[in-house]
Amino acid sequence: MGNVSAITICDSIVTGPLKDFLQRLIAFLPNLFSSLIIFILGLVLGWIFKKIIVKIATLLNTDRFCSTIGITEACGKVGIKGLPSHLIGRVFYWLVVVVVTIIALYALKVPAIENLLERFILYLPNIFIAVLLIIIGYLLGNFLGRATLIASVNAGIQFAGFLAKGVKALIFVFAFAMALEQLGIGRNMVLVAFTILFSGIVLALALAFGLGGKDIAKDYLEKRFKGEKEKKNDIQHL
Amino acid sequence: MSKKSEILAKDTQKRIEELKDADILIGIPSYNNARTIGHVVGAAEAGLLKYFPNYKAIVVNSDGGSTDGTMDVVQKTTVDHESILVDHQVERFHKIAIPYRGIPGKGSAFRTVFEIAKDLKVKACAVVDSDLRSITPEWIELLIKPVLEEGYDYVAPYYHRHKYDGTITNSIVYPLTRALYGKRIRQPIGGDFGFSGRLAAFYLTKDVWESDVARFGIDIWMTTTAVANEFNVCQAFLGAKIHDAKDPGADLSAMLYQVVSSVFSLMEEYAPVWTKDGESGSVPTFGFMYAVGLEPIHVNLDGMIEKFRLGVKELSALYESIVPGELLALLGTVAEGSKEHFSLPDDAWVKIIYHFALACHHKVMSQEHILKSLTPLYLGKVASFVIETWESTAEEVERRLEELCIAFERGKPYLIERWEEKRYS
Repeated sequence: MGNVSAITICDSIVTGPLKDFLQRLIAFLPNLFSSLIIFILGLVLGWIFKKIIVKIATLLNTDRFCSTIGITEACGKVGIKGLPSHLIGRVFYWLVVVVVTIIALYALKVPAIENLLERFILYLPNIFIAVLLIIIGYLLGNFLGRATLIASVNAGIQFAGFLAKGVKALIFVFAFAMALEQLGIGRNMVLVAFTILFSGIVLALALAFGLGGKDIAKDYLEKRFKGEKEKKNDIQHL
Repeated sequence: MSKKSEILAKDTQKRIEELKDADILIGIPSYNNARTIGHVVGAAEAGLLKYFPNYKAIVVNSDGGSTDGTMDVVQKTTVDHESILVDHQVERFHKIAIPYRGIPGKGSAFRTVFEIAKDLKVKACAVVDSDLRSITPEWIELLIKPVLEEGYDYVAPYYHRHKYDGTITNSIVYPLTRALYGKRIRQPIGGDFGFSGRLAAFYLTKDVWESDVARFGIDIWMTTTAVANEFNVCQAFLGAKIHDAKDPGADLSAMLYQVVSSVFSLMEEYAPVWTKDGESGSVPTFGFMYAVGLEPIHVNLDGMIEKFRLGVKELSALYESIVPGELLALLGTVAEGSKEHFSLPDDAWVKIIYHFALACHHKVMSQEHILKSLTPLYLGKVASFVIETWESTAEEVERRLEELCIAFERGKPYLIERWEEKRYS
C-alpha cells in the first residue's frame, strides 16, 4: 500500500511533469524544425536575392547615379565604404533575413513570442519612416549646405563656411527631431528641446551679427549715406 | 517631335500659305525691347532693300510675350527709301510679328524662325538680337551674302570688342570650342548669325526644344551643330557690337553656369566628333576689318582676387573631387601670393576647365554645383589676364589669346585620355 502511494506520488511529482514535458517537446519539435528550415532557407534566399539586386543595380548604373546625387560621398563620411550597388544588395539581404526571422519565430507558435512579434511588427513602420527621415535629412542637409557654401562664396561672403555648416546642421537637427517624433520618443521633450535650441541659435546669430558685424554695418551705412561706393567693374563677361 | 500646329498659330500658318515662298528671312527674337527693336528692324529692312532688292524677303519678329508694345514697334517701323539711296524695289518686303510658342527663351523664338524658314523654303536666313544699337544695313549683307552667293551654310559674327569685353568667350568658350571642333570661330556665342535654309531645316530635326537649348543655350548650340555636322562655315566681320545695357544685377555665376553647361552638354553629344585627333584651322572671314577704340574702363581687380582667394579657401574640399591634388596645391599657392605677382598660368587654367568638363561628364556631383563653383577660379583667371594685359593694345591682347588657345589645343589629348575612363566600374 505504502509502495503504491509512493509510486503515485513519484508519478504525479516527477514522471507526470516529465512525460508532459516530453509530450510538449515532441509536439514542439516539428515547429522548431520547420522554424529552423525556414530560417536556413531564408538565409539562402537572402543571399540569392542580394546577388540579383547587385546585378540589377549595376546594370542600372546605380553607382554613378548615387555618386551624382551625393549618396556615395555621404555614406563615405559616415564610414560606410564600398559601392552603392553592393550596399543596396546588403540592405536587401538583411531585409530578407529580418522577414524570414519573423516568419521563423511565428512558426514556433509560442504565444509569448507571437505577442512580442505583433507589437514589434506594428512598430516597424515607425522605425522605417524614422530611418528614412534621417537619411533624407542628411542628404538634403549636405546638398543645401553645399549650395549655400557655393552661393555665399560667389557673393563674396567671408563667413561662407560657417553659414553653410549652419544650414546643414539646422536641416539635420530638424530631420532628427522629426524622426524622434515619429518614434514617439519624448514627444513633448523633443518639441521643447527643439524650440529652445532653435531660439538659442537665432539669439546667438543675432548677437553674433550684432557684435561681430557692427563694424561692417557701420562701414556699409557710411558708404550708403556718405556716398562711398564699391569699386566699379565694367567688365562685360558675355 | 512637336507638330507644326504646336509651334505656329493658325493665323501665322495662313499667312505663310499666302506668301508661299521667300528667298531671305531675317529673324529677330525679342522680349520687352520696344526701346531698341525699331532700330534693328529699320536696319534689317534697309539692308534688304539696299543689298537684296531683287529677292523676296521677310522679317520675322518672334516675341516672348512683351508687355511694352515691342510687336507694335515692329509693325510701325518703316524705312525712308531715299535716305538709304534706294530708288527701286522689285520684290515686296514682308513683315510678321508673332508671339512664339514653347518654353520661354531665345531658343524657342529661333525655333519659330526656323519653322517659318522651312515652310517658305527660304534660301538664306539671318538672326539678329533685338537690343543691338550698333547694327547697320551692312550687317544684313554680311550675314546673308556668304550663304546666298558663296554657298556657305553658317555665318558666325566677328566683332571687334573692348579687350575686357566677352571674358567668358575669350577665356573659355572660344579656346575650348576651337580646340574641340577644330574651327577658329572667334565669336561662337555672338548672337547674330547667318545660315542657309538647309541648315534651318536640319536644326528642326534635332530634339532639343524642351531642353536648356530652348532656354539659353541656342547660340553655342547653333555654332557647334553646324561645325560638328560638317556644314560649310565662315565668319563675317560686323564691326563693333554695342547693345542695350544688360541688367547690372545679373548673377555672374548663373551666367557662367548657363554658358559653360551648354558647351559641356554639347561635348557629350559630339564626343565621337571631338575625340578625333586634329589641329584647328581658320575659317574664311568676310567684311572689311578695322579697329575699334580702347577707352579705359573700370576694373575691380581687388574684388576679383579677393573672391578667388575666398573660393580657394572655402571650396577646396569640393575642388578635391574635381581637380587633381597638384592643381589644387597650385591654386593654394596662387591664392597666397601677393596681388602684384598674381598669375594663374594658362596650362593650369586649361587643366581646370578640362577637369570641370570631366567632373560633369563623370557626374561627380550635381552639375549646377560643379559649374557654379567655377566662378571664383574664373574670376582669378580674368584678374590674372587683366594684370598681364593692362598696358596691351587690342592686337597684343589678341596674340595673348592665341597663346591661350594653343594651350587648350595642346592639352586636348589629356582631356581625351580621361574622358574615356570609367570612373565607377
